[in-house]
Amino acid sequence: MARVVGIDLGTTNSLVAVLGEDGPRVLADPETGERLLPSAVSFLPTGEVLVGRAARARALEAPLETILSAKRFMGIGFEHVSDEDRRRYRFAPAERGPVRFLVHGHTLTAPEVSAHVLRELRRRAEAALGDVVERAVITVPAYFNDSQRQATRDAGRLAGLEVLRLVNEPTAAALAYGLDRQEEQSTIAVYDLGGGTFDVSILKLARGVFEVLATGGDTRLGGDDMDTVLAAVLLDGLPARWREHVQVRAQVLRLAEEVKHALSSRADAPLEIALPDGGRFERRVTRAELEALIAPIVERTTRSCRQALADAGLDPAGVAAVVAVGGATRVPLVRRHGEQLFGRPPLVDLDPDEVVALGAGVQAGILTGDKKDMLLLDVVPLSLGIETMGGVFSRLIDRNSTLPVGVKETFTTAVDKQSGVEIHVLQGERELAADNRSLAHFTIPIDPLPAGVPRVEVMFLVDANGILSVTARDLRTGREHTVEVKPSYGLTDDELERMLEESFDHAEEDVQQRQVREARVDAETILRVTRAQLDVHPGLLEPGERERIMRAAAALEEAAAGEDPVRIRDAYDVLSQTTEPFARRIMDHALQETVVSRALDEL
Amino acid sequence: MTHALANGVERNGECWRCSERVGLSAFCVSCAAPQPIAADVDHFALLGLPRRLDLDRADLERRYHDASRRVHPDRHQTASTEEQTLSLAASAAVNRAYRTLRDPIARGRYWLELHGDPIGADNNRVPPELAELVFAVQEQLADVRAGHGDAAAVAAARDALASRLASLVAGLDDRYARHGAAHDPPALADLKRALSAIAYVRTLLRDVDAVAAR
Repeated sequence: MARVVGIDLGTTNSLVAVLGEDGPRVLADPETGERLLPSAVSFLPTGEVLVGRAARARALEAPLETILSAKRFMGIGFEHVSDEDRRRYRFAPAERGPVRFLVHGHTLTAPEVSAHVLRELRRRAEAALGDVVERAVITVPAYFNDSQRQATRDAGRLAGLEVLRLVNEPTAAALAYGLDRQEEQSTIAVYDLGGGTFDVSILKLARGVFEVLATGGDTRLGGDDMDTVLAAVLLDGLPARWREHVQVRAQVLRLAEEVKHALSSRADAPLEIALPDGGRFERRVTRAELEALIAPIVERTTRSCRQALADAGLDPAGVAAVVAVGGATRVPLVRRHGEQLFGRPPLVDLDPDEVVALGAGVQAGILTGDKKDMLLLDVVPLSLGIETMGGVFSRLIDRNSTLPVGVKETFTTAVDKQSGVEIHVLQGERELAADNRSLAHFTIPIDPLPAGVPRVEVMFLVDANGILSVTARDLRTGREHTVEVKPSYGLTDDELERMLEESFDHAEEDVQQRQVREARVDAETILRVTRAQLDVHPGLLEPGERERIMRAAAALEEAAAGEDPVRIRDAYDVLSQTTEPFARRIMDHALQETVVSRALDEL
Repeated sequence: MTHALANGVERNGECWRCSERVGLSAFCVSCAAPQPIAADVDHFALLGLPRRLDLDRADLERRYHDASRRVHPDRHQTASTEEQTLSLAASAAVNRAYRTLRDPIARGRYWLELHGDPIGADNNRVPPELAELVFAVQEQLADVRAGHGDAAAVAAARDALASRLASLVAGLDDRYARHGAAHDPPALADLKRALSAIAYVRTLLRDVDAVAAR
């Protein structure tokens, strides 16, 4: 089985890792040595797409064309987008379905944007491993619902990756952490505060089995929120006319993030904002000031932790270790808070930025059979159910049920000759359907019979990825019904197909463009050298030779102005052959000159 | 053939792959193939446990982990689609069995179901020994609903219910040790009485929490 990589597709940064002989390791870009890939994607007017550091840098000049954290938008609708994000990006008007960015007049879904990040990680892994990479384990926040998981899997498919498994981030971290502690029997808590999501998971480790007891979190809480509150304060200090300026806002947000990082290791940090009119704005931020601002954000993790402990039937004393995961746990206030919640300082012996990717690499090894002594038993993070009479949410699968989990429900008809039953599937903990997140609608086809006669058994199955599938069986005939599920915020199969086709078209286009660019560079080089030599060595030309060379050069120039790489290469070859005798004479001449000059030296 | 198996239609006590005896187990000990799960599978048999109310928790967990190691989809990622389907169903069944048996209340209710005497939706008669407590709590709730409730009194009622529930649940283990594998009518009746009281208090506690959350 070829290599399966583990990918941490983060809000701010992404990484790729693989399980080697000596354990998991993060794969660095062979050219730059970089391990973290900023999850930023920038779309140029030319159609070119920048990913990573270059895209992040472009966010300052082109904030509307640069998506910094597509993960925040995975599997949600426009109505779930925060006010801050509505100001920062431009969206296509959409009444239903997944949220769509509007960039250069084109609409883009979050999975399409994330696919660019995944493609870059894939390229990086292939370069580092010297092997084709087609399969991956991708991590998701434990608290991601079904739609958000589907969106992540779709992104993988768009990037040409078969997603073997979606693994919850804190669980992956526990795998990496517990790799050398398999003999122990203990209970650990993973406190994972990333760029845009917060997760807490309580796991029991016994005999190599990693059993998740409970999980909780908030998919809209993270380090980004700290940057946002600090940026808001900084913007308030600016002259009013700059506060809504898109580029100024992007710059301030970036500075807020840098200051937050700096304040993790020092008591205060200076910053300087460059205004578009040439003005400058300077100030200092102290750690105390930052902590006062972010305290409410950090406090928001408390409830999830208490709930997870209660769901696991434990009190803090029952937890043997706390593992800190996610870049935001570098913030001292966050560490202190974690310590206060669990009564012990969080473990940080593994790099909080890398531990999730390392765990994903371990899980990839488990799936390929390279690692047989470990097994992960994860849970469904949110209760799953259907809407019943009066808009009530009827729970079918409880949160924290171990995956895979299935439940069967029998449905019948309410009126004579009814030909189908409409089912609305939702996920959440609230009593009313409207208060939970809609996942999908589907219709069970039913033979038109008197009311109450048909009996259809519907199986709701949540697989090891935390993704729901639905099958229906007619209990009278034993016949299986196919159920076409209409996702509320996901991509339909048709849409995904179309995107896949487009990405293949683009892939061909991209290759062609690169070939043209490379051929042009070569053409320009030979043209420059040829002209220079004609000027320097006119005496070495034979009669008529200059004209022949000039004709070939003109032909190459014309070809290079076009878009056909083959034509450019052919014209290049013609010029190269035409100039060959001339080039040989120049070489001979140079040799003679060297010999002459050496002879003179020796005298 | 394998497709029919994947739908859990037939099993005859032999492994579909290597014909080894598998009984009602979720997997084959000989070739590790996940087995099709019958619709009315017995949770005890699935995990290879004796059918008893007084389970050894450590033994239960060990068997669950062993079964999971064999049937979990992670172990069959490279297998045929049919085997993956079987693994998914077997793993879900093993999870369900463990979830039911590990919780004393769920285990007791399952025991009643197994012996044809389930606690139904008709369970709304106030258990006599709880009458006094129930009456006091309902009075508090009525006051709150009428708009002149006392938060401290509701909290006190909640505490009283919670501690009563805890002692009822704690009493289950003694009861299970006493009954062992018993399923004679007096034993079942005793079990049903205890579990009905627990169900009643739990429902009431949920009502109190709903009111308190307002």
